[in-house]
Amino acid sequence: MEKVLLKNMENPNSADINEYKKIGGYKNIPKAFEFQPKEIIEEVKLSGLRGRGGAGFPVAMKWTFASAYPNFPKYLLCNADEGEPGTFKDRPILEKNPHLLIEGMVISGYAIGAEYGYIYLRGEYPHAKDVLNKAIAQAYDNGLLGDNIFNKGVRFHLTVHQGAGAYICGEETALIESLEGDKGQPRIKPPFPVNVGAFSKPTVVNNVETLSNVPYIIEVGSEAYSKIGSQECPGPKLYCVSGHVEKPGVYELPMGTVLRDIIYMHCGGIKGGKRLKAVIPGGATTPILPAEKIDCPMDFVNMPKHGSMLGSGAIIVMDESVCLVKVCYRILKFLEHESCGKCTPCREGTGWLRSILGRIENGEGAEGDIDLLLSVSGNMAGKTFCPLGDGAASVTQNFIKHFRNEFEEHIKRAKCVMRNE
Amino acid sequence: MFNETVLKEIKQISGKYPTTRAALLPALYVAQREFGHLGADAYEAVSDVLGVPKAIARGVGTFYAMYKHKPMGRHIVQLCTNVSCMILGAEKLSDFLKNKYGLEPGGITPDGRFSLVIMECIGACGTAPAMLVNDDFYENLTEKYIEEILEKYK
Amino acid sequence: MITININGKEIKLEKSVTVLEAAKAAGIKIPTLCWHEQLGQYGGCRLCLVEIEKIPKLQTACTLMVTEGMVIRTETEQTAEARRGMLEFLLINHPLDCPICDKAGECELQDLVEKYGAISGRFREKKRKIPESFADPLIVRNMERCVMCTRCVRMCEGVQGASAIGVIDRGGHSHIEPFSGGRYDCEYCGNCISVCPVGAIMSRMHKHSYRPWQVTGKTETICPYCGVGCTLVLQVRDNTIKRVIPRIGSPVNNGLLCSRGRFGYEFVGSKERLTTPLIRKNGVLEEATWEEAISLVANKLSDIKAKSGSDAIAGIASPRCTNEDNYVFQKFMRTTIGTNNIDSTARMGFAGAQAFMENIFGQGATANIISGLANSDTVLVVGGDPTTANPIFGLQVRACSRKGGNILTVGQMKGLEYFNPVKADPFLYTEEVLLEGIVTALIGKKGLPGANLTLEAKIKDINTSLDDVEKKCGVPAKELARFVDILAASATPALLIGKEIVQSSGASYKLLLLSAINYLANGRIYLLSERSNEQGLLDMGCAPDLLPGYRPVASAEFRKRYETLWDTKLNEKTGLTIFEMMDAASRGSLKALYVMGENPAFNLPNSSAAATALRNLEFLVVQDIFLTETAKLADVVLPALSWAEKDGTFTNMERRIQRVRKAVNRGGMEDWRIISDISKNMGVKLNYADTEKVFHEIAAVSPLHRNLTYEDIEDGHAIYPYKGEPLRDVMEEILTSKGKAARSTGKLYLRIERPLFHSGTLSTKAPALVKIYSRAVARISAETAASLSLDEGDIVRITTKAGAIELPVSIDKAADSSTVMLTNNFEGQGAYSLMEYTIDPVTKTPVLEGVEAKIVKMTGT
Ligand SMILES: Cc1cc2nc3c(=O)[nH]c(=O)nc-3n(C[C@H](O)[C@H](O)[C@H](O)COP(=O)(O)O)c2cc1C
Ligand code: SF4
Ligand code: FES
Repeated sequence: MEKVLLKNMENPNSADINEYKKIGGYKNIPKAFEFQPKEIIEEVKLSGLRGRGGAGFPVAMKWTFASAYPNFPKYLLCNADEGEPGTFKDRPILEKNPHLLIEGMVISGYAIGAEYGYIYLRGEYPHAKDVLNKAIAQAYDNGLLGDNIFNKGVRFHLTVHQGAGAYICGEETALIESLEGDKGQPRIKPPFPVNVGAFSKPTVVNNVETLSNVPYIIEVGSEAYSKIGSQECPGPKLYCVSGHVEKPGVYELPMGTVLRDIIYMHCGGIKGGKRLKAVIPGGATTPILPAEKIDCPMDFVNMPKHGSMLGSGAIIVMDESVCLVKVCYRILKFLEHESCGKCTPCREGTGWLRSILGRIENGEGAEGDIDLLLSVSGNMAGKTFCPLGDGAASVTQNFIKHFRNEFEEHIKRAKCVMRNE
Repeated sequence: MFNETVLKEIKQISGKYPTTRAALLPALYVAQREFGHLGADAYEAVSDVLGVPKAIARGVGTFYAMYKHKPMGRHIVQLCTNVSCMILGAEKLSDFLKNKYGLEPGGITPDGRFSLVIMECIGACGTAPAMLVNDDFYENLTEKYIEEILEKYK
Repeated sequence: MITININGKEIKLEKSVTVLEAAKAAGIKIPTLCWHEQLGQYGGCRLCLVEIEKIPKLQTACTLMVTEGMVIRTETEQTAEARRGMLEFLLINHPLDCPICDKAGECELQDLVEKYGAISGRFREKKRKIPESFADPLIVRNMERCVMCTRCVRMCEGVQGASAIGVIDRGGHSHIEPFSGGRYDCEYCGNCISVCPVGAIMSRMHKHSYRPWQVTGKTETICPYCGVGCTLVLQVRDNTIKRVIPRIGSPVNNGLLCSRGRFGYEFVGSKERLTTPLIRKNGVLEEATWEEAISLVANKLSDIKAKSGSDAIAGIASPRCTNEDNYVFQKFMRTTIGTNNIDSTARMGFAGAQAFMENIFGQGATANIISGLANSDTVLVVGGDPTTANPIFGLQVRACSRKGGNILTVGQMKGLEYFNPVKADPFLYTEEVLLEGIVTALIGKKGLPGANLTLEAKIKDINTSLDDVEKKCGVPAKELARFVDILAASATPALLIGKEIVQSSGASYKLLLLSAINYLANGRIYLLSERSNEQGLLDMGCAPDLLPGYRPVASAEFRKRYETLWDTKLNEKTGLTIFEMMDAASRGSLKALYVMGENPAFNLPNSSAAATALRNLEFLVVQDIFLTETAKLADVVLPALSWAEKDGTFTNMERRIQRVRKAVNRGGMEDWRIISDISKNMGVKLNYADTEKVFHEIAAVSPLHRNLTYEDIEDGHAIYPYKGEPLRDVMEEILTSKGKAARSTGKLYLRIERPLFHSGTLSTKAPALVKIYSRAVARISAETAASLSLDEGDIVRITTKAGAIELPVSIDKAADSSTVMLTNNFEGQGAYSLMEYTIDPVTKTPVLEGVEAKIVKMTGT
């Protein structure tokens, strides 16, 4: 498959506008401007593009709502918060291919009727911030951003907004709060951002990777685009693989590539020839899969059928040496740290789960602790304000579901069974 | 209070947003740079420029992990210990930092050179374990490599 | 029309509301913690989870909007289990200290646990420990008990607009504290206390002194402090006020209070209260019996009347006393004594301004509804910060801004600083030019409407360009142009006028300009009113020229009507104003003065001169609850009852008549009863069985109050003229006199500060308010401080022509460098004692402008 998102990555100057132009960059903006905004939305709809931020929401649908809502100005926000543990797929685009994103945002902004764009960049990516700011400055110099792009009367301004270390700001309404200068706590929906979003105006939030697909759709047309990947979820996908594989990294593959193939064909299999124990396929908060359940096509539609989720496509591979109680504990510790504190079950529940898991891992678990974990997570599941708290419940439930034995052993033997003494 | 140059910088930042309030996060970064960490004086300064009540500014500031609320070393070592880094040995590295440099999470070395912050995922999982020193990424860490890296920061 | 089904009950709704509201309308209670009537939805506590048919997950009733055909179940096994789960989460870190928690009995968490039961004992780890914070003198915080509903924070930011507290940190570490982390640097409204569902934020005033269920009386009454007239509920135990709380749904303050209203009640039980009458014997005040005191007063007044005539006697009425007290008092002066010499400190501004405005606009010019202000599209504030003078009214200004309205300010208004005011801040004493500029620009933009020709005749030739304003006032023409544009484009502007304008030089001319602005912009006027019954006292006829209901004494026709009603012969001579009384006293033509609930020796400008005048009287009677500066000079002191000890009515600044009710018992007599006793001793019967009877007579006499009864007043919506006749429609010629703008650069001028926590004498007898604001300070600018090498807290001597006092300085970086600000609240340190004044020829209001002050640093302190 031709590289769409990771094109030209080997070029050390790939972030420079001239290098980007050399490989055909920015041609799709004038091409897009030949069409009516509505036609572009239609094209994106036909392409079948779904959001790459985790939820897989059809992109054209969001765009239609926002463009139809009669309130101005409108905003396009790029979600570059990439906080889901295990995820590092947006970073190469941000650091090495920023113009692809800018091009995508100009076209998307035009389609929606958004005159202002912000890239909400996580604070942990200081390098990306410099790269983006430089790229944006170049784009302004080249008339690709501003009040009258390509003399077509199209106006689009773009600013990088740096987050400050809060995973929840990846959630789109929390992101908006944070952009507005508030704590990143999710908002009540409805109203949805497409109607009342940033600064109370219609707002579209899309992931970096999502927006970076747009120029290509314009370039080759929806028909050709939709032939890539799986039928329900077409297009290229960035899978970022970490953990115990020979060749970890970001892979651009057709959507729907089977998880086993990613691990064994593309990433060279398990590191050091060890045995695979489990995989977290879509970022730390997606349900864990035991080694025998990895024959699943990695897309938004098929993963749920196989008991997990595509999430951000962050594949964490764990070999036989890994203690899963500890991993579960670490994820809960993360979620406890990141809980925004707005709703009761998440604020109190994540910490409680973490502490029970901690004592089990430390060999201080008691009989009944597993049931307690299930009961507490049951009291959270489906009752939290946003998916973060739900995720905490689901992580706990899924680890126990697949590896209950390991938890029981920890309790029975009053120590971590995976630790070498 | 900020000096004129900084005031201008913040004014310029806030010009990029439809409301001055939206400049709060960037302004807090500026304040952190100017004051070293966000104490009462830093919040008061930000409150004065942006017209955001100081209790609100402080509430927002303390929500985010990257704003520091106590004095930090000259260089901040930010070690990731989230899942991918953890399973590839980040904890050992954290022990190493403690034993070799006396660096404990949240602490500061007696010479004021380093502070250690334990990070959630920093997006370098493919090259784990990883850390940031100030704004620089370091990946595929080993104890030896860490020694080399820290040498560069005086 | 939407039809839904809740718990099997079919319900029809006009429009879509939340499930919670729909259930409430159907009489079904859904448990909530974070939701609050005044604060709306938040969705955080997750206690309101309900089952909705066809939606798999439980939904929060407080956020979900109903849709046609929705089937809702609020109490099922599933919802109960979910709620028990939430309660368990809330309790794992909550201390089980209900037995010693003052909230027990009115704790929403406790009630919920009682209803749903709690799962307990499953949390084996250590509870979160956060020590209780007593860093603040009035508010105690116990964050272990906090359930993070954030009601307090939302109240503080979203309603009160003080934004003094915030949620610090996040997740499980979240906790609520003021900016300092310890002491509150806030407006001390205490509204956070009101909304806290648990015992996390509480008042220290009654800590461990009683339990909510031990309250023996709950009396709804009106606040004794300012002219807003907030409803208070006084909770009493052992005949002592234990706590003051607001009531949601009350017409003016709807569940909100300010610091004075909430914390300022302790003066009632003060040990300094007067208990027995005092009579001066051999130069000292000695305790006496009521009989002695009353017959002495009656005899003395009769003597003086016989010897020197009725007009040698005068009375000062009280803006802190009820309508009934004031009515009886003026009737006593007019009938028993036979003089129109009755006035009050309303002459310091409110009376003059009101009369002036009404002369221009006719009746009702200043009777606009307080709660309506928030709906204005623009609010223009001049001459005083409403957020300190009338705090609850100030909240309406903030609410207006929050709703998207424009706030325009002339002069500094600290309490509005965070509400995006468009400011015109002229040099000291140059408001006149600024206002002229606004009038000129408005005429230029909108033309003269042609409706009020008398007014137009006075303003049509004003011609002050924005450039002139820039030159003379220092307000950039561009900024003022924006200011005027906003005003001109407003459809429903409101104009708020504070005392500083009315007490300035050329006040009448400035009031004319403000009237013109109001007229040209088609606005509504609000006059800030500092005392609780300033309006009512004027309504009752406590003015030298006006009979009850504002009927002029000078009119024979009106006099005749009152003579019939009162069965007496009225003096036709207009009486003396309060300032004229002081002059007459020092000249010796005034022999006797009867002061009811007022403290002229402290509250009048150049108060030391006033004190001298009072000393010159042959006979001074003071009726008060404290031995005030004035009472100390009296020949007879009569102890009165405070507002909490008596019945009656107050009339607030929007002319809403409200019931004051007795909450505690105290021996002694109400002001009106003392007066009628004296009158009886003088041979004129002013007999009333109770205040309702007095009011009955008021309703018969005052055309404004015609036929009004206590019953009508009961519901809180009696705004006059309720059933009565309109005020009057007589327009007199509009007289004005211009000011002199007396200011030279490099000089310091003394100005009165009106702090939020104090107003007059009363508040300084309330220990809680003294704790927050404990002493007088001289507020100066950083510039002044630097030029005099002064540091915060240095003691300085401030000297004016009228006198000198020593005070610590407080440096305020935002202060005007040509002023020194003093409050008038603390005994022996009153700012008024330093104020020389002249009287505005038109409004008869004192001009407190251009008082030069010198500051010298005191060494060795
Ligand atoms: C807790 C939480 C964290 C999230 N973090 C991210 C993130 O880091 N990056 C991202 O693009 N989307 C994230 N999302 C998804 C966003 O809410 C949103 O769906 C996405 O930005 C939409 O963009 P898309 O339609 O292009 O996927 C997160 C969602 C939740 C609930
Ligand atoms: S589930 Fe609740 S507390 Fe957790 S992050 Fe979402 S809103 Fe915040
Ligand atoms: S009342 Fe609905 S979530 Fe708190």
